[in-house]
Amino acid sequence: MNVATKKWIFLKISSLILIPLMFWFIINFVSIYDKNFEEVLSFFSNPVSRFLFSLFIIFAFFFSALSISEVFEDYISENNLKNVANRLLYLSAIIIPLITIILIFRLN
Amino acid sequence: MENKNPLSPHLQIYRWQISSLVSISHRVTGIVNFVAIILICIWVSSLVFGETNYSFINSLLDSIFGKFITLGITWSFSFQILCEIRHLIMDMGYGFELKTTRISGLLVIFGSILLTIIFFILGKNLF
Repeated sequence: MNVATKKWIFLKISSLILIPLMFWFIINFVSIYDKNFEEVLSFFSNPVSRFLFSLFIIFAFFFSALSISEVFEDYISENNLKNVANRLLYLSAIIIPLITIILIFRLN
Repeated sequence: MENKNPLSPHLQIYRWQISSLVSISHRVTGIVNFVAIILICIWVSSLVFGETNYSFINSLLDSIFGKFITLGITWSFSFQILCEIRHLIMDMGYGFELKTTRISGLLVIFGSILLTIIFFILGKNLF
């Protein structure tokens, strides 16, 4: 299978999974963003919230990295620059959710 | 070797239409959402550093600026959701007629505003 076809399939699958997770996250985000420390902590200490939030950020970063690499493909003509931009993008899409998930699972 | 292929889409050449407006906005909101998710990760991670450190972020989010950013993020996510649904429908082979693309584009633009309002109504238990 062509790399571009694989990328397109991954993009569509992640999009299908991400849509319901976005609905769940936005409604909860709107309800807690301005609440005090205890209330926000209590939300993210809940095992279901932790699990769904972890899934949300994994798929959100995965989907965003694939989408933004398409933007690089369309707007960056210099190959070396495009490769560096893509590597930085993919690296951040792995490291940021990984650190966040480790930290939220340490919340009490 | 430098790639001489033309880059797309040619924003300065073609006349703006609903479909091009939705397409470029989809890309812009995609990048905005990437930054927004990074900010959300920083916000959630800051809980680890305790109540005293969190109070700065809390006061920022509770300010007019914080509320404006939250509203912007909510709209950007709403726009992305509706654009993705539109794309998934198009991937199944529907909605390619000129009139339909205009209508679905308008539905995405106005629907994202409506969806933002719905998210705030549901999130804040306003009904």
